[in-house]
Amino acid sequence: MSEILDLLPVPTLVVQPLGDSYRIQRASVGLLQAWDRTREDLVDKDLFVALYRGSKTARFDRIPLAYAIETAVATKALRLCHAAYVSGDDTWTARITPVHKEEDLSCLLLQWEKAELHVAVPDGGMSQSWLPIDDAFRILIHAVKDYAIFLLDTRGNIVTWNTGAELNKGYKKEEIIGKHFSVFYSEEDLQRGKPDGALERCLREGRVEDEGWRYRKDGSRFWANVVITAIYKNDIHVGFGKVTRNLNERKENELRLVAAYEESSRLKNDFLANISHEIRTPMHGMLSACSLLLDTELSEEQRETANLIDESGRVLLQVINDILDYSKLAAGRFSVQSDVVDIAGIIISVTRMVRTTLQPGVSMHLDLAPGLPKAMGDPIRYRQIAENIIGNAGKFTEKGSITVQVSVSAEDKTTHTLLTKVIDTGHGVPGDAAAKLFEPFTQLDTTYQKRRQGTGLGLSISKSLCELLGGDIGYERNPEGGGSIFWFSVKLDKVKKTTSTIPERGADEPSRSPSKGQGTDAGAQLNLLRGIARTKRILAVEDNIINQKVLVGMLHGFGFEDITVAGDGSQAVSILVSEGHVFDLIFMDISMPVMNGYEATVRIRSSGSRVPIIAMTAYALKGDREFCLEKGVDDYIAKPVNRQLLMQKLLRWLCHPDNPAHVNGNITEEAANDCPAISQELVQA
Amino acid sequence: MAPVEDQPEDVLDSSLVDLNTFNQILEMDEPDDHEFSTSIVFGFFDQAEETFAAMDTALAEKNLEELSSLGHFLKGSSATIGLTKVRDGCEHIQRYGKLENIDGSSEPDEDLCLERLTKAIQTVKEDYKEVETVLRKYYEQFDS
Repeated sequence: MSEILDLLPVPTLVVQPLGDSYRIQRASVGLLQAWDRTREDLVDKDLFVALYRGSKTARFDRIPLAYAIETAVATKALRLCHAAYVSGDDTWTARITPVHKEEDLSCLLLQWEKAELHVAVPDGGMSQSWLPIDDAFRILIHAVKDYAIFLLDTRGNIVTWNTGAELNKGYKKEEIIGKHFSVFYSEEDLQRGKPDGALERCLREGRVEDEGWRYRKDGSRFWANVVITAIYKNDIHVGFGKVTRNLNERKENELRLVAAYEESSRLKNDFLANISHEIRTPMHGMLSACSLLLDTELSEEQRETANLIDESGRVLLQVINDILDYSKLAAGRFSVQSDVVDIAGIIISVTRMVRTTLQPGVSMHLDLAPGLPKAMGDPIRYRQIAENIIGNAGKFTEKGSITVQVSVSAEDKTTHTLLTKVIDTGHGVPGDAAAKLFEPFTQLDTTYQKRRQGTGLGLSISKSLCELLGGDIGYERNPEGGGSIFWFSVKLDKVKKTTSTIPERGADEPSRSPSKGQGTDAGAQLNLLRGIARTKRILAVEDNIINQKVLVGMLHGFGFEDITVAGDGSQAVSILVSEGHVFDLIFMDISMPVMNGYEATVRIRSSGSRVPIIAMTAYALKGDREFCLEKGVDDYIAKPVNRQLLMQKLLRWLCHPDNPAHVNGNITEEAANDCPAISQELVQA
Repeated sequence: MAPVEDQPEDVLDSSLVDLNTFNQILEMDEPDDHEFSTSIVFGFFDQAEETFAAMDTALAEKNLEELSSLGHFLKGSSATIGLTKVRDGCEHIQRYGKLENIDGSSEPDEDLCLERLTKAIQTVKEDYKEVETVLRKYYEQFDS
């Protein structure tokens, strides 16, 4: 039997499946003669290697035959593969018969027939081609200028070429016909197997569409939309049709549009940031002036009006701050600090603040998981998010309760992820609005609630901040009570264990001798001070309200009328910025939240102000004084503030701001005018 | 306006209250009323209660840093009024919270500090109660 196969005059191959490949088992004598090959050349060789070895387009050549075998085996039926082999000028069609033994494929019988010449010659001898082209269509297609439309044979060699192809790809018909279509692809695409992949997919799916760069004869490239369609004649695959559209113009327009959009977005953000900044400064001034106005005696009507100005001003300021934050975030110019974050402390402080704004009957609960870590992150940004989310809960909850939960949701070697949940029993968020909650400029309008003041930027800013802090933010319905649950997470770095505590050694307070200089001297000093106090403006920076009140009380006692109080260093700095440098003296507490006295002093000094700053602190560290002076503080008073000592400091600094420690020097004329009756001993007492 | 006012020194124990400092506050009152000092002292009561509550929370969470800062906070205002014992107690809390001994040397044993904090908070609350009672009594005479 096997001998018969070998002696068969019909060109025949017997092929055995071997894993994923096919091995030639037998080759008929008819085939060896027709193809002018030796048995050794074929038998026991891989089918595709034996057929296509040496061809530059071997990996394309195999595609039609591989696909035909695949379908023949799958359908257990005979398949024809057109032009599966080329020898000299002849092309051969394979007739593939799968031979099954029960269910298993035992071998394939490949019988070969010589096909008509199909490869188009440069003069365009289309009639000889197997490819079915009607003359009328050929003329039409040839005339199309905007699209490159051409046909490929089964292996991807170019068979036809229209005017559009010539215009778009830069090849003349004579030089491209017969070449392989992979010349249009980049080296990279070729290595990634893009053109062969396209043909394989096209055989399976009938059609493929792709967008990408294609190369012209001169090496330039254009962005192309390519559609490849498999062409069959009498169910036999005979080639591919390829339509290529040049999208360069569209692509360029897209890029131009994107660039224009980015530019305009940047301009918008810059504009917002600049204008917000410009508005903020006078706004601070206006608000300070208004609060001064409110401190004066006003009729009820005037007070109401002033209160209105104050209230609206504050809302406006918040709006401006929001916009400034938003535009900074949008422009990616928001910086994140790394500092120790005391989550529990921040949450306690924020809830304490929000509690004062709650509507009557609303309660607030704090549920902090035990052992919340201290970690590294940006405390100010965390606080900003917490204030926004908890503040919102306070604003929108009219009855019931608000619960703030903080827990560690994840932990790895270097970070903690902290989850903060704010659960309220307010009106909740209607389903359709929930999706838009975190988009900028979104405010929920409900019939029973008046529109809230603000920009609707709060949640959007919070979302961006959360993302900056490596976390996320979200909303869900409160299953109990119908309110809202807003949650947000932040990722914080673990603190590296170091113990760097500066030991506080014995107090090194400046001399406190209230007895000295008391009596007549003290009376004279007091009169002196009262004489100048009315014209002086003092800024008192102190976080503890009791201490604020006492200090202000003492200053009032000395006759000072113009006293501004700031609750922390950053408030002090912004007051100085908005009011201009109009203060004659600053009392500066050192240990304060948000921004301590040292940092505030450094900022004030770096803004160029030379206003005398007297530091106040409850305990004196050794070297504190030097440290104060180094930071730009002029003098130092221990807490609790002794009234007598305070008076002396005031005299010293308000009468001789330029040279307070001077004993024998000349008093400048200005200072002399301020303190007409001052004696050196009094000042130095 | 009681016809004969009790002077602070008659009512207030100098071990509890530094009279010099407290008198400074009283001196800021107008001659015929005690509005200013009342607002300061009673304001302090509120602040102390709030701070103690916060200390309890911080203690439960073993948040030493927060305890230290709360100690510092209340130390400031108690010192301003002259509540010596409370001030000293707060200073202890501040130091223990910073992992320090009373003399300012460092004390790395966190558990020991927590134990000390628990006691110190207890003590400062008791001292505060004592001085609060006395001060309330002192101000009661003006209530009539």
